[in-house]
Amino acid sequence: MSQEPSILSPSSNPYSSDSAAVRAELSQIDVSIRSAALFFVVSAIGWLMIGTVFALITAFKAHQPDFLGAYEFLTFGRVRSAHLNAMALGWGNNVIYAVGLWIMARLCRAPVEHKGLLFIAGAFWNIGLTIGVIGILRGDITSVEWLEIPQYATPMLAISYALIGVWGIIAFRFRKGDHVYVSQWYILAALFWFPWLYVIAQAMIIWFPARGVVQSLTNWWFAHNVLGLWLTPMALATAYYLIPKVLGRPIYSYYLSVLGFWALAIFYNWAGVHHLIGGPIPVWLISAGIVGSVMMVIPVIVVGLNHHMTVVGFHKEVWRSPTLRFTLFGAISYTLVSLIGSSMALRSVNEVTHFTHFTVGHAHHGVYAFFTMIMFGGVYYMMPRLLKREWPSAGLIRLHFWGSAIGITIMVVALQAGGWIQGLEMNNPEIPFLETVKNTVPWLKARSISGIFLTVGHIAFGVNFFWMLFAAGAVRAKEGPTLLSEEGSAAQ
Amino acid sequence: MDVYDYKELLPIILLGIAFFSVSITMLYWSAKKGQLREFDEQAKTIFTDEEPEGELTDSFPASKSSTRKSSRKS
Repeated sequence: MSQEPSILSPSSNPYSSDSAAVRAELSQIDVSIRSAALFFVVSAIGWLMIGTVFALITAFKAHQPDFLGAYEFLTFGRVRSAHLNAMALGWGNNVIYAVGLWIMARLCRAPVEHKGLLFIAGAFWNIGLTIGVIGILRGDITSVEWLEIPQYATPMLAISYALIGVWGIIAFRFRKGDHVYVSQWYILAALFWFPWLYVIAQAMIIWFPARGVVQSLTNWWFAHNVLGLWLTPMALATAYYLIPKVLGRPIYSYYLSVLGFWALAIFYNWAGVHHLIGGPIPVWLISAGIVGSVMMVIPVIVVGLNHHMTVVGFHKEVWRSPTLRFTLFGAISYTLVSLIGSSMALRSVNEVTHFTHFTVGHAHHGVYAFFTMIMFGGVYYMMPRLLKREWPSAGLIRLHFWGSAIGITIMVVALQAGGWIQGLEMNNPEIPFLETVKNTVPWLKARSISGIFLTVGHIAFGVNFFWMLFAAGAVRAKEGPTLLSEEGSAAQ
Repeated sequence: MDVYDYKELLPIILLGIAFFSVSITMLYWSAKKGQLREFDEQAKTIFTDEEPEGELTDSFPASKSSTRKSSRKS
């Protein structure tokens, strides 16, 4: 075996270098990305609030169809899609650009260059998305789920993706040190996968539409991979960074984390086809999708085991940390939602859950209970380090956590229990269809109640964030518990 | 786009081959550069002088126990 120099040798590793020129201080890196990250977080919170309003309207309309029924632009189909895009592309992407790129910059151990690229990308992204959401409400919506944004707004989003991807490659190229931490693998891969998914889906569905079921296949390949190859790797990258960082304890098994990454990279791409079980597409293709979905058990167990073993013995510390409280909630949800998702891909289970609210509950389980909760944790950890200020109110953090945790739990339980019953009833020819619809109403009302909890949580989050941003509590902040060190404070 | 006319799909197929090639290259590169060795040590590379191993770095703002030294190192 050749004796190559270790990637961890002190001479090449900026983490242990004595030379200040080689070793970039984290606080310097934080300062270098502060303005861009703040821009994205503010945008993300703005979209979170807008998406929450759309969500509440949608939820109430589901069991009270005449609610705001006099307004054409607030019909169920439009406002529901406006909610999805505001949350997934507005909140989701902006918070990814903030937290994900901040983690990337820190792990690359080099102050951020080419910030202009990030600002241009952010401007394109938010302007394009605003035009898109307004277009959806005006009635220019496409009929394709997860690609509802009208054709005229999509080029701006594509340009934005490209710029973010280019920035990621530049940051990685000019990193200090040779080692690539597992979070960097996830972020790099996601930055690589998502433009590919988006461009292909746009080309084959919107710009040069393929015929027939190929459109459906492309649609669900894209839609499921937005979750699996964009939101999931970004959230896992954040969790793999935050959990050991906050606890000061290395991840339990780095080997498992790498195994989990490559298993996700290999298997997830196939999973989307299970949305078309029973559809008029080749059976082998669906079977391949089912196999891919079930094989996802491997990375899920690996990640769940790794996170669990890392926090064993540190449960009190987890509870005392706002960051880890959210992050661990998200990590546990990842295990649950993924195992449920794999089982939903089985034909016998899918016969019941398909076309029911179970799927809606599953989607929220993944995007909110897993992805969003981890990203909340990321924002709670990142902001004090960017601003050198403490969060002004612990009470608002607790209110945010409990509002979100209780809200999403009610929603997932209600929609999945109600959806399962709905599926069983729909498969029973003795029960009229209208009766199956009426029987879902109590569960849909429960969802509306869950929405109120979530709204309270989001408002608490927003108030705390802008309170912090506009400097109230800054005096206490200088000695706050989430600040890193004297060096970190002094470097501002 | 006619699904039976694969010439129309050629740009997508070429793009797919390019992306797949990059993925395989990355896996090869990571193995060659030693990214798949010394796992225990690699897990510690996120710790720095500012955020060292063994130190808790986050707790609720109301808490008085700021950045306590962890008594339990792994």
